[in-house]
Amino acid sequence: MFRGALWLLAGRGCVGRGLSTRSGGSTPDWTEKVSEIKKKIQSALPGGAWDPLYDTSHLPPEHSDVVIVGGGVLGLSVAYWLKRLEKPRGAIRVLVVDRDHTYSRASTGLSVGGIRQQFSLPENIQLSLFSVDFLRNINEYLAVVDDPPLDVQFNPSGYLLLASEKGAAIMENNVKVQRPDMAALPSVITMVSQEQESATDRSPSLTRDIRQEGAKVCLMSPEQLQNKFPWINTDGVALASYGLEGEGWFDPWCLLQGLRRKIQSLGVFFCQGEVTRFSTSSSRMQTSGGKEMTLKRIHEVHVKMDHSLEYQPVECALVINAAGAWSGQVAELAGIGKGPPGTLEGTKLPVEPRKRYVYFWHCPEGPGLETPFMADTSGAYFRREGLGHNYLGGCSPTEVRSAWAGYYDYNTFDQNGVVGPHPLVVNMYFATGFSGHGLQQAPAVGRAVAEMVLKGQFQTIDLSSLLFSRFYLGEKVEERNII
Amino acid sequence: MLKIIIPTIMLIPLTWLSKSNMMWINSTIYSLMISMVCLPLMNQPCDNSLNLSMLFFSDSLSTPLLMLTTWLLPLMIIASQYHMTKEPLARKKLYITMMILLQIFLIMTFSATELIMFYILFEATLVPTLIIITRWGGQTERLNAGIYFLFYTLAGSLPLLVALTYTQTTLGSLNMLLTQYLTERLTHVWGDSLLWLAFMLAFMVKMPLYGLHLWLPKAHVEAPIAGSMVLAAILLKLGGYGMLRITMMLNPTVNFMAYPFMMLSMWGMVMTSSICLRQTDLKSLIAYSSVSHMALVIMAILIQSPWSFMGATALMIAHGLTSSLLFCLANSNYERTHSRTMILVRGLQMILPLMAAWWLLASLTNLALPPSINLIGELFVTVSMFSWSNFSIILLGINITITALYTLYMLIMTQRGKYTYHIHNIKPSYTRENTLMLLHLTPLLLLMINPKIILGTMY
Repeated sequence: MFRGALWLLAGRGCVGRGLSTRSGGSTPDWTEKVSEIKKKIQSALPGGAWDPLYDTSHLPPEHSDVVIVGGGVLGLSVAYWLKRLEKPRGAIRVLVVDRDHTYSRASTGLSVGGIRQQFSLPENIQLSLFSVDFLRNINEYLAVVDDPPLDVQFNPSGYLLLASEKGAAIMENNVKVQRPDMAALPSVITMVSQEQESATDRSPSLTRDIRQEGAKVCLMSPEQLQNKFPWINTDGVALASYGLEGEGWFDPWCLLQGLRRKIQSLGVFFCQGEVTRFSTSSSRMQTSGGKEMTLKRIHEVHVKMDHSLEYQPVECALVINAAGAWSGQVAELAGIGKGPPGTLEGTKLPVEPRKRYVYFWHCPEGPGLETPFMADTSGAYFRREGLGHNYLGGCSPTEVRSAWAGYYDYNTFDQNGVVGPHPLVVNMYFATGFSGHGLQQAPAVGRAVAEMVLKGQFQTIDLSSLLFSRFYLGEKVEERNII
Repeated sequence: MLKIIIPTIMLIPLTWLSKSNMMWINSTIYSLMISMVCLPLMNQPCDNSLNLSMLFFSDSLSTPLLMLTTWLLPLMIIASQYHMTKEPLARKKLYITMMILLQIFLIMTFSATELIMFYILFEATLVPTLIIITRWGGQTERLNAGIYFLFYTLAGSLPLLVALTYTQTTLGSLNMLLTQYLTERLTHVWGDSLLWLAFMLAFMVKMPLYGLHLWLPKAHVEAPIAGSMVLAAILLKLGGYGMLRITMMLNPTVNFMAYPFMMLSMWGMVMTSSICLRQTDLKSLIAYSSVSHMALVIMAILIQSPWSFMGATALMIAHGLTSSLLFCLANSNYERTHSRTMILVRGLQMILPLMAAWWLLASLTNLALPPSINLIGELFVTVSMFSWSNFSIILLGINITITALYTLYMLIMTQRGKYTYHIHNIKPSYTRENTLMLLHLTPLLLLMINPKIILGTMY
């Protein structure tokens, strides 16, 4: 504007040169002067961009009663059961925080999706039994008005675990070297090797365990195996256990989406963000033995948004750590494990990510529709995928159509889940560390954690052997055969 | 009256000029001293009123309310100490200033002689309250709560302004002491009904009446503790006080206008008590119980009998102390667990036994256990309502039962039973909190001995 006025005043002759020729000195360039004046004024005035009404819809709410860190199947299951078991409806405000809404690295989506009851720990068996019941009746649990029913594609083809005669220790070492994600120890071998003849009528204690809990498993000798599944090469196989009911595989993504849909209809908040900090307060208390401990409470969870420094402190009463493979990091944020090693303060949450690969191949002369989910003596496993002679497995065949890798939330201590509250960080509950069988036990674990939160104790399935304190006390709760 | 107002105004420079470590102590102690100065007003020399000046007076209705107001300021300051710890110093001082400003307006409101002055200060109390709710409240919903609070009260009191100016021009004066001697014609015109409505509506919204009560749960729940305390204890009573004063000058032949509000109050009393039974949020439960108790006060004032006026006044004082105490107790829970949901915080009796004793006493007074002054209020109201209409006893009886039900539900949910795992390391009760509860309970329990002073003008 100044320039235009000057141009008019000074006449056309001065356009190219400004006003320089008049005074003969340096050129006062008016646009530059104007911008300099503007900068001076701005630096004199306080503050930068002040926008009091900016959009905060992407941020989580400022207050939530329960914050669930991790939006995978375990986290969503806990949210579902919290909402389902709360006595007056709408009592608890639940927030689920996940840092990746595409679930690109979450264990749930990359899982092979098997479900079995062939564990040796009774708690695991009960968890899987309830989960099978949940999956079978999924539309009674997760129905949402006006939405189509869920088809979780449960193929109840059973699990087939093979065992060789060789010593368990050697096998274990081999498998650990080859596939550190599998710790195979079918105790059936040691038991059956004592009974050399037939194995069908005599049921070793493993199957007795499983049968006691209500799972239907049968043991097969190599001859019976050959009869039923002619395509199996039974060299080196001493015994096999075959799950007859309630075992198989399903679509984990469908379960996840079904849970997500149901939870949203029940009023749970979802937020995409990363938990970067817990604001805690500590208090020193004395145990009955006179020993002093520092107990902590989490007051706030700082949720940081993606690709920005913006974060929202969410005030909460409880935090549930269902962060899967990264639960160890989340636990460290809360100060779990910071202390001299060997003490309760110094006991870390021993959950870390373990990568494992899944391969997808096509085999036209393959086993066919009756293929169970098979796990070999070497630890290799595979299952049928779909109806077109395709198979998914953990060991790579020669020709592979595709492959992917996912993480186990691997519990380095005893490869079984951690459930329940932490003794020192009083309002953090765990639902993680299931090392590969988390998906299949998710519905039952969610219910157990919700019962612990709402009623103070486990009511339907007693998971007190899976509490955190076992890491400090050194009591391993190991599976005797595990994949 | 200036001996109360000037010191209260001077509390503001006291706050701003105190050293940072003496700020809370100074304001608490000096406001306690001011409430002691307010005590001699109780010595009413005659039946009528103590006329202190052209602008201010106090009679046996306004004095208990005045005492309640001045007593509550130190309690509000004590209660706010914890949640303000993280704020910068200037903001803490601003918060206390807002409370003191509110206090000044409330003292002047309760002692005003001129009705227009009463109205101006009545509206002026909205501003500091709004600032306290929206600036220092807990959650995002506080903006909504502030808007509801402001606009409900503002819209309700606009007709009151019109009515007051009309009355001023026709009568010539709105001095409360003079208007009680007003004579009204014994036939009514329909304009009288409108005038009745205009006068009463503002106070109905403030009380709140059942149909116009939506602002209360929001405002009470979202406000910080001092805001909840002052809202529950005093601001609701402004409505009651206003109604009691205004009914003196309304035309008695227009009393039929009271019927719709009587019905709303009776029904609302039962409804809000029932809602309390289904509440999951602790503060929300206490807020709805406030609506229920105030519905009793509205009914009492509308039937205009000596017994009911006595009951209304007693109930206002008793409810003010009880409700404020319950909010303080709920806040002590909230500060520890950061959640107001009742089912997540249970079994506190095992962990904080002294606080459980305060909870018990608060619940007992809330459900009007004899011989507390709550009972006196409720009993007088019930008896006078029965004599006004025999059938009302059914609803009143149902209400008393449901009040007992939800109060005990609240007590048992929060105190009894097995405690939830995650509260076993909450901080034990501070002396400050115990003092706060004791300071609430002491007047409540001592008034049992001599309830005459709160029975108002009709005693």
